[in-house]
Amino acid sequence: MPIDTSTQVGNSSLQDSGQPFLSAVGIHKRFGGVHALKGVSLDIVPGEIYHLLGENGCGKSTLIKIISGAQPPDEGHLIVAGRTYSELKPLDSLGAGIETVYQDLSLIPNLSVAENVALTEQLVATNGRLLRRYDRPTLAQTAVHALEAAGLPSDARFRDTPVELLPIATRQLVAIARAIATKARMVIMDEPTTALTQREVDNLIRVIEGLRASGVAVLFVSHKLDECYAIGGQVIILRDGEKVAQGPIADYTKSQLMQLMTGKQLEGRRYRANANWGEIVLDVRNLGVAGAFDGVSFALRRGEILGLTGLLDSGRNELALALAGVRPADRGEIRVDNEVQHFKTPAEAIAKGIGYVPEDRLSEGLFLDKSIRDNVATAVLDRLLGRFGMLDAGKGDDLAARTIKDLQIAAPNIRLPVQSLSGGNQQRVLIGRWLAIEPRVLVLHGPTVGVDVGSKDTIYRIVQRLAENGLTVLIISDDLPELLQNCDRILLMRKGHLAGEYDAATLQEADLYHALIGDDAEEVRA
Amino acid sequence: MNAVASALKGGSHMAGVPHRGFFARHPESFTLVLIVAVSVIVGSINPNFFELSTVFDILRSSTVTGLFALGVLIVLAAGGIDVSFTAIAVLCMYAITKAVLGYWPEAPFIVIIVSGAIIGTLLGACNGYMVHRLKAPSLIVTIGTQYLLRGFLLTFVGTLFFMVIPQSMDNFGRIALFNYRSATGATAILPASVLVLALAAAVTWFLLNRTLMGRAIYAMGGSLAIAERLGYNVRVVHVFAFGYVGLLAGIGGIVHASTIRLASPFDLVGTELDVIAAVILGGARITGGTGTVSGTLLGVILVTLINNVMILAGVPSTWQKVVIGAFILLAGAVFATRGKK
Repeated sequence: MPIDTSTQVGNSSLQDSGQPFLSAVGIHKRFGGVHALKGVSLDIVPGEIYHLLGENGCGKSTLIKIISGAQPPDEGHLIVAGRTYSELKPLDSLGAGIETVYQDLSLIPNLSVAENVALTEQLVATNGRLLRRYDRPTLAQTAVHALEAAGLPSDARFRDTPVELLPIATRQLVAIARAIATKARMVIMDEPTTALTQREVDNLIRVIEGLRASGVAVLFVSHKLDECYAIGGQVIILRDGEKVAQGPIADYTKSQLMQLMTGKQLEGRRYRANANWGEIVLDVRNLGVAGAFDGVSFALRRGEILGLTGLLDSGRNELALALAGVRPADRGEIRVDNEVQHFKTPAEAIAKGIGYVPEDRLSEGLFLDKSIRDNVATAVLDRLLGRFGMLDAGKGDDLAARTIKDLQIAAPNIRLPVQSLSGGNQQRVLIGRWLAIEPRVLVLHGPTVGVDVGSKDTIYRIVQRLAENGLTVLIISDDLPELLQNCDRILLMRKGHLAGEYDAATLQEADLYHALIGDDAEEVRA
Repeated sequence: MNAVASALKGGSHMAGVPHRGFFARHPESFTLVLIVAVSVIVGSINPNFFELSTVFDILRSSTVTGLFALGVLIVLAAGGIDVSFTAIAVLCMYAITKAVLGYWPEAPFIVIIVSGAIIGTLLGACNGYMVHRLKAPSLIVTIGTQYLLRGFLLTFVGTLFFMVIPQSMDNFGRIALFNYRSATGATAILPASVLVLALAAAVTWFLLNRTLMGRAIYAMGGSLAIAERLGYNVRVVHVFAFGYVGLLAGIGGIVHASTIRLASPFDLVGTELDVIAAVILGGARITGGTGTVSGTLLGVILVTLINNVMILAGVPSTWQKVVIGAFILLAGAVFATRGKK
């Protein structure tokens, strides 16, 4: 059947035709002297899933911004549903059915689920004019349909809940429900799974698969290669502003993908020569926090790397916070060097040599608009005092310069604000801050969340080198390959209790994954 | 998909939602509790408190503060703050009174109040445009315009009091909606100006809850950057929100002069914090994105109650500010549980 795309309305016939919904042709973008995109062309076909892969700084974000209309290209053009644009404006892009879910999800925190999901429809209908009646029955109706399609509850209580009160995984699905409500034909998701646990990721994948099956094109930006394989579809790989490969993901092995992205050979192997453990540094006995976890006991030796994993409700996060003194334990005891400690504040934990690198480096860790030096120095200000108790800027500079060198942070200048760095480098600044306190134990919470493959590798090398030099490390993570690659032992938590201890050297990822979700999967079935 | 949906329906998406206390979900009910508590305490000390005339007194005294507070509510909900509305009100009140007395002493009241509304709206809209254009904090912009407007008023318009106001304003101030003769023989009057507040409250409620502008105001108060990305025209919302405060300030200024039968250029400016305090006591967050008309009205009544009737309980008037301050701290502590994660 011959199809004239310029008259297309529905998406099912487009899908049958195999015509691309969106084509980018020869896109160039320059920022000052940086040539961010060097003639990228790609086609997006309805009903297909794409994974846009590449290291930080390869031009992924720029490409997405050009497609969503946030930035114009310098050269090249875009064809959307048969219409050619030299540049897209945000409203063009939305109007054509391109929905971009950024990492912050673009949800308005104080508005209700229903409003976040379905208000755009009315805004588009009035063409942005605001002195129009707010149609609540229609809002509820649209919201119910979209929420059901996204696998969310659609009752009035859920619809009226302010989004800010929902857990992050649910917010993610609310953002997808909005894409469904706006009848999106292409959904772009920027690192959608970084804050989700394994089970939540599985659920997200099922919802995405439903979108795909209804003819929507989905473009993922992700650093988690295992998830890309689980989802399937096509990969598009960018390196230094150029498209270096596109094709079905099944045609590539993981190391081929990594090689294409980084341009160099990386192996997911352990960098530590031999584990040479010393005396017990941290001894946790029957620790508990009401409503979160209880009866947790384990011991950590000098130079050991211990992994801790579990679902979001397993209590792993609360355990990490209790060790760091952020949310004090109610029961049991923590011994550091065989001395009982009762941390009530982070400052007490820091004083005993426990450094805690939080999960959400943006909101809990870094001062984004402050310099690298200030960020590194902030936990050890008392050691940087010069005469008269004034801060000695020179000492801070030395510390920052040393951190940049030790942690291989790619930054020309220690006075640059942290927000100008890539995710991987930001994470290293944060680790550097806690290394500056010369900790006995370093607690790393999701150390490579939102960090690209090359940077991950660097962070792993650093962590393992630190352990070889006698630092004790506790890694709390959902990233199972990460735990297997770095840890000596892995503890599994479930529903507030320790549910298993594994030797990482002999453990298979599939076994760990089953142990992680095992009980829950059975409950769903029952 | 259906299997997933049904597996998840069991409320697991609500599982992580922190339980919020009743007051956190309905902040205005806390305001109501405070009002009842104050009334019971004052009434038990002085039984004369429980008189219809007390209600009339409070409603009368609440009118102008209430008009201002409804405007402040809109701006707070939109994520801004305005401290220039008293200067707008006094400028409208004084300049219009002077012009009417000088050029058209028999001008009908409707002309006077519409002039106040128009001038107020324009001045407020300028605030909104500047906040949007300069991308400056609205506190800074409106501190600036407060000084500008007040300086302009005192320098160019005049510094003398008008002890006699235009006849139509005077008449409006005397219209009684309701007369009541108490057992003790005293007469209590409910002035018609209360209707202006009732109308303004109804319009504000409709705007916030039944128009897309209302959703846009809350959305912008929740996150300006995200609202802009979602296609809300934030310039229009800024101009509207600040224009709306200006509108109510202009009307409030005229109503104020009509009720007290005096136009003083030194009036009103300095009472901004009382109004903002009333809105905050009514449950609106200073950080934006929340607030209700009912809560705001209750907040105004609470502040008026404290300012006017504590004297009945024999409390020296200097204590009023202490009580209001304590209530704001208390409300802050009760509401603080909201939105924490």
